Amino acid sequence: MNFLSLFARNLKSGPQVEAFPFGPAFTPDRLRGRIVFNADHCEGCRICERVCPANAIRFAKTPDGMTFDCWHNTCVFCGNCEFYCPTDAIHQTNDWNLAHTQAEKFDMVEHGLIPNQKCVECGATALNTAPMVKNAKPPLSETEYAEVRARCPKCRAKYLKNRKVPS
Amino acid sequence: MGLIPDFKKIATRSPWLYRINAGSCNGCDVEMAVTALIPRYDVERLGCQYCGSPKHADIVLISGPLTVRVKDAVLRLYDEIPDPKVTVAVGVCPISGGIFRESYAVLAPIDQYIPVDVNVPGCPPRPQAIIAGVAKAIDIWRERL
Repeated sequence: MNFLSLFARNLKSGPQVEAFPFGPAFTPDRLRGRIVFNADHCEGCRICERVCPANAIRFAKTPDGMTFDCWHNTCVFCGNCEFYCPTDAIHQTNDWNLAHTQAEKFDMVEHGLIPNQKCVECGATALNTAPMVKNAKPPLSETEYAEVRARCPKCRAKYLKNRKVPS
Repeated sequence: MGLIPDFKKIATRSPWLYRINAGSCNGCDVEMAVTALIPRYDVERLGCQYCGSPKHADIVLISGPLTVRVKDAVLRLYDEIPDPKVTVAVGVCPISGGIFRESYAVLAPIDQYIPVDVNVPGCPPRPQAIIAGVAKAIDIWRERL
């Protein structure tokens, strides 16, 4: 009789096999998968390059600015970069489907560029990184943030120092 | 007589898988065993089956960064597999070396020694990703037949 109850249950619930190659696969939301990079939020501190155990992340200085490259074929999905990133510029998505043919091997890279800009105050060429103003008190307004961002690191420090803080 | 070639075309559509451990940490090997053995991620739906002998294999799954010590054995095993064969590099190690890259004991990437057709990155890859890689390998294998 046990057989009959199992048979009835299997008829009701259907197969337990994952449908994947022929249907969608179950993916947990917090699965550690492919890395994405948001150049707008990057501070340029390069901590991710330093903590990456497999050296999958490389920064390079070019005439246009600083480039970011994360090689998915070297990344071990440990999540150190996301954990240490101070500005949430680097994220792990739950995309695990990275199987590719040999011809696509060297396209498996997440590329980003932090462009150069001219400082609005002194005219020096500097990277347009996100400013490190997490601990500024009181928090910067949006216009202040844009003004800080348009400056070079030295002028940024000067701007933050001379900022009027209501006591 | 025309029927027999047609029949052969239908009959040769079940590639057999073979696993080579080229100095892997066993993480990818466990995942590969999981794709085949447990009913939840059934790789036999694609017509594949694991076999114990390289002489019966059609698709080779290689894991591990090809350590210096195991290199000769892997190349000898690989030569024993009859053509046409399709090679799938499973895990980050055979593709680029992963965390073992640039070590003196490791000869990664493996495509310097063995022609690789499909790469499945991950440390280890999910069972579904390995199945996706095997599905890609089957397409390549059918073209080569």
